[in-house]
Amino acid sequence: MNHSIITEIKKENEGVFTISFNSDIKASRGQFLMVWVPGGKEVPMSLSRIGNPFSITFRVYGETTRSLSMMKKGERIFFRGPYGNSYPQPKGKVAYVAGGTGLASLKSMIDEFRGDVYVGARSRNELFFLKDDFRVATDDGSLGMKGTVVDLFLPFANDYDYIYICGPEAMVKSLIDRIDQGVRAKIFISLERLMKCGIGICDSCSINGFRVCRDGTVISMEELLKLDEFGVTRRGESGKLELIINGKR
Amino acid sequence: MASISTRIGNFSLENPVILASGILDETSGSLLRSLNEGAGAAVTKSIGVEERKGYPTPVISEISTGLLNAVGLSNPGIENFLSEMSSFPLKEMIIVSIFGKDVDEFVHLSRRVKEAGFDKVELNLSCPHVKGVGSEVGQDLDLVEEIISEIKKETRLQVWAKLTPNVTDIVSLAKASEAADAYVLINTLKATGVEIYSRKFVLSNIVGGYSGPGIKPIALRAVYDVYLETGKDIVGVGGITTWQDAIEFFLLGSRAIQVGTALIYEDYNVYRKIKEGVSKYLDDEGFSKLEDIIGLMVRR
Repeated sequence: MNHSIITEIKKENEGVFTISFNSDIKASRGQFLMVWVPGGKEVPMSLSRIGNPFSITFRVYGETTRSLSMMKKGERIFFRGPYGNSYPQPKGKVAYVAGGTGLASLKSMIDEFRGDVYVGARSRNELFFLKDDFRVATDDGSLGMKGTVVDLFLPFANDYDYIYICGPEAMVKSLIDRIDQGVRAKIFISLERLMKCGIGICDSCSINGFRVCRDGTVISMEELLKLDEFGVTRRGESGKLELIINGKR
Repeated sequence: MASISTRIGNFSLENPVILASGILDETSGSLLRSLNEGAGAAVTKSIGVEERKGYPTPVISEISTGLLNAVGLSNPGIENFLSEMSSFPLKEMIIVSIFGKDVDEFVHLSRRVKEAGFDKVELNLSCPHVKGVGSEVGQDLDLVEEIISEIKKETRLQVWAKLTPNVTDIVSLAKASEAADAYVLINTLKATGVEIYSRKFVLSNIVGGYSGPGIKPIALRAVYDVYLETGKDIVGVGGITTWQDAIEFFLLGSRAIQVGTALIYEDYNVYRKIKEGVSKYLDDEGFSKLEDIIGLMVRR
């Protein structure tokens, strides 16, 4: 278990926070940490910044993330990792497509490799890291196009050489189902799944034998299309296979 | 090339490297992947009567000599599990691990496993971190004896008894399990770990099981003692990471070996590496088949 001193905690919006800290870990863009609240749970979190200071950016959705959001500068943050593979380097024209906090995983790429950024959220107050040139879609139309980020992005899919995607499974499923399979771009997706161990042994995050935590989290679209469980079934904490109902986005 | 085929009870395997219970074996996709990547057989995650979520995270902690875990027997329950596995293509290469709190549960689970088209069960008599099952059942010699004899009587499945090392006398435990077709030695050792800067336990359950390279000598001793005293078929497990580790287990009487924690270090290459290493060792040392070295160092 590593620990670092928090150098900054920033409230990005009502529910999203960024914690920064210095560390001697070696990490690549797209990797994640297992962040631990001592005495509480451990959760996987994407690194939103690589190199000192490192950052994690997360939405408060439960007890653990609430505890993390209430931490203060100078306190210790505990974590294992980094784990997982990383985004390959782009060439040519680049697009980033982010749903919700998926933007956190893409942030270190966006900062390093210039590209068009498409972001989606339920409404404007859930958006974060926004810049003037970002292309925005909101479900309620409170900012940018009314609709999903998939609707916003798809008409331009043919304009790019590299496309990086991160977001909820339903969003990614919708995108890969609808995108023209003949696009010239190389497409890479960072997957989100329930994880327990983070090191590829507990099988909680496996999709058709693909361990999101170890074989991923980044996967090419070509490989992802072979995983027929993706977007169709999910697993609860017991490992029970459940059909995703109402997964449309 | 020397043959590395082996036999456990009436089960013949093309190679002796088996995926251990509890690692990458909760989903049908991962079980299939292990078999495709070269495992001779695979044991499933332990399945109980009802669905169990297991413990909250943290459920694992990596230490220099292996791994601590308290996953807490998370499993989808027997009916959900069998439903996911209903069209599994290689049922004959699967050993279904089951756990229960009493004879009735074990017999019920075994019946359902058999009805679903599987012919082998591994009895988890040894999980060290869940109350009322696992090693709590597995330390009660009379209960173990009854569980095994009832399953054999009611189902005629091949029964592998995975025994707990958390006892003073594993030989007595083995003798109580005599009706089993094979012994699986050993499960994890009861253990804990501390994080010194937060002054908290590293596992949410405080107590967990210790696996990995550090427990290999203990597993070897258990295999040696039990083989010496009983001569029965043994599947060795505990810290096996390399082919050299596997050879040690064969020389002391294991007819096959299981790997689990090694998947952290070697990933799915572990099966191929151990198989190739064992085969080359047999050739280099002038043995024509694996059978020739099984128990070679034990004078019975």
